[in-house]
Amino acid sequence: MGSVLKKWKLPAIMLGPFIVLIFLFFFLPVVLIAILAFTSMDSAMRWDFNGLANFQKLVTDPNILLIVKNTVIYVGFTLLINVFFGLVLGILTTYFIQKESVGLFFRTIWMLPRISPPVVYVLLWLWFFDPSEYGVLNSLRAIFHMPPKEWLTTHPMVAVILANGLIGASFGMIIFSSAIKSIPKDLFYAANVDGASQWSIIKDIIIPAMRWPLMFVTLWQFLSLLTSYEYILLLTNGGPLFESEVLALYSYHKAFRNFEFGYGSAISLVLVLIALIFSFIMWKLFGMKKMMGSSRIE
Amino acid sequence: MKKITASVLSTFILAMGILSGCGKTDQSVGSESNEDKSKVVTIEAQTAAPEITRVENLEKAAEKLNEELKQQGKDIRVKVKTNLFEGSWEEYAKQFMLAFKAKKEPDIYATGHENIGWLADGNYILPLDELKKSKEYSDVFSTLWDSVTYKGHIWGALQDTEARPVFYNKDVLRKLGWSEEQINNLPEKVKNGEFTLDDMTKLAEEAEAKGLVQFGIIHRPVDGPDFHVMVYNFGGKLYDPEENKIVLDKKAVEKQLNYYYEIAQKKLIPGNLTQMEWSSIHKAVVNGKALFYYGGIWNVFNWSQDNFHEKLGKVDEKWINEHFGMMLIPAAEKGGKPITLSHPFVYTVSSQTEHLELVKRLLELVANPALQAEHDVKTFHLPVTKSAAEHPDFKANETLGNVTYMLEYTTFIPNHEGFPKYSKAVFDAIQAVELGKKTPKEALKDLEVQLKNDLGDQLKIVE
Repeated sequence: MGSVLKKWKLPAIMLGPFIVLIFLFFFLPVVLIAILAFTSMDSAMRWDFNGLANFQKLVTDPNILLIVKNTVIYVGFTLLINVFFGLVLGILTTYFIQKESVGLFFRTIWMLPRISPPVVYVLLWLWFFDPSEYGVLNSLRAIFHMPPKEWLTTHPMVAVILANGLIGASFGMIIFSSAIKSIPKDLFYAANVDGASQWSIIKDIIIPAMRWPLMFVTLWQFLSLLTSYEYILLLTNGGPLFESEVLALYSYHKAFRNFEFGYGSAISLVLVLIALIFSFIMWKLFGMKKMMGSSRIE
Repeated sequence: MKKITASVLSTFILAMGILSGCGKTDQSVGSESNEDKSKVVTIEAQTAAPEITRVENLEKAAEKLNEELKQQGKDIRVKVKTNLFEGSWEEYAKQFMLAFKAKKEPDIYATGHENIGWLADGNYILPLDELKKSKEYSDVFSTLWDSVTYKGHIWGALQDTEARPVFYNKDVLRKLGWSEEQINNLPEKVKNGEFTLDDMTKLAEEAEAKGLVQFGIIHRPVDGPDFHVMVYNFGGKLYDPEENKIVLDKKAVEKQLNYYYEIAQKKLIPGNLTQMEWSSIHKAVVNGKALFYYGGIWNVFNWSQDNFHEKLGKVDEKWINEHFGMMLIPAAEKGGKPITLSHPFVYTVSSQTEHLELVKRLLELVANPALQAEHDVKTFHLPVTKSAAEHPDFKANETLGNVTYMLEYTTFIPNHEGFPKYSKAVFDAIQAVELGKKTPKEALKDLEVQLKNDLGDQLKIVE
């Protein structure tokens, strides 16, 4: 007994506060959502259990097909921009710009939107897409004598994907840059001596060395995109109609605009399930466990 | 080792400190004593921006209440703590809901009458049936009581009401060749049912075709009570009080959707109207870019608060009356009755208040005609009692005097708890037909499915 206590005392002290935090702010909300999803809680805030009624309502919801379609498009394309663009930025600022200070300067610029508050960042996009002749895009059109267009009305999903994709790319950029830096320089020297082309250096040295960061960024961004809605909320608020509404935003709207807390929770619970299933598939499919081991290059 | 343990412990203590800081901070306790040894009771009151007079009047009423208490020899004094909320109506409702659960809600919550349904159903507020019998409320315009009645009880103290007229741009009509007399007679023609909704659309088309305005008609850009007045105008119903159900009157709603479809197809409204910001709406109207505007009398107040006019900036009442007229919403049929909708603002009382008797007396005193008149004139609203309408300060105001007759043509949206969902769904349908994404028939079909899903057995469908 004494030895067990001795063995676990330090870990308990070290991890205790974080376990409490994780329990309070990560685990408890999921449990609460899971319970709320089976109630008809509305503005009266009463815990009236109603079985599967919320899920039946979700299936018969006339907007649900469109919203699921939007979610797939939003997550898919944003993820593509996030990962691919992040990779391009990482390679550009680390491999092609060898001087550390210059690379750092460009990376810092790309990090700026992430540091600025979402409202400010979205405000810039709103100005970019502004329907009046003063919007950035429309003033560009004006040079060619074209009439102003209502971008956010006609192409809401494009706007949402661009805004989210560009800000998200900086996350991949940071992870990929550090991964590229950790590749031993000898490999590049050897490749250059052998006369390898730039493309083959990227294809045969850099990318294979980054399988784990690539997978990590993809999974991480996938999970955060699935549940993120703040930029959509600020940019189009899901509109016009439901054209840029995604599941996470729909849950928010149902809970906090219509005050259908039970129904909103049911939608959230579906999202939690989707996230869990995908995490499990990716874990199994891509052998994450193996990849989390030490790098095979060194 | 010791060092590590110490640093871990200090981190832990720090974390606990931060966590406990997140918890409930003690509110200033309601009772404290002042120099004349009487107990001070703090009553909290909250309203939404920008009409701060709604709570300031309560502060003034508290002065009178304190005099009364002094005369009665009671050792209690009332202090009103006011709070002005800035944000959307949904946030305002949400904030009260959460504050109530945390027992931090105001004693008096001023809100639109249509919120009574969910507030009463959720036991957030108390019935105030006695108010109807009180002397101060004895001369309320009787139809207004309907707006605070729900399930047979009175749930709010009427604070003010308004008219939602259609503003018409006099300059544009002048350019169309109308004489001053014709222009000033338009409200009368609307009142008599000679000038109908169709005439309004045609006139808007004419002004736009001649290049006098960019938009023939502008309505509010976001969900709100105004849209539902068209259901009444087309002879429909929104609520069945006997069954306490929301009504989807399919014939009337189809006509309602047809109307918005028509004005959008004829390009009388801005193409992205439902995506526009309020400030752009005000700017377009004030700068004469539209002939008709489905507005509210309080817009006169809004336009004097912000620089909406490109050259003049803030515009005063006199300027507005020179350039704009106000009329009822024209009747849908020739000879029919024109219509408008009012949205009385009410004081509701939290069911968790500890000072119910004092709050009730305060709400009686705040109906004082002078206080009402001051608020109404400052913020361009209409009084709820006849004595306030007769008050010299109110009568001196030309704009308000010109629209007081509209109260005879007024209607209300229902107080039912499910109405916000109905309203949101109808707004979506209107948006869909205006953007040309659906025809009125398609939109109505989808609306029916949506409402059945959202409201379930709270909905009654009238074919």
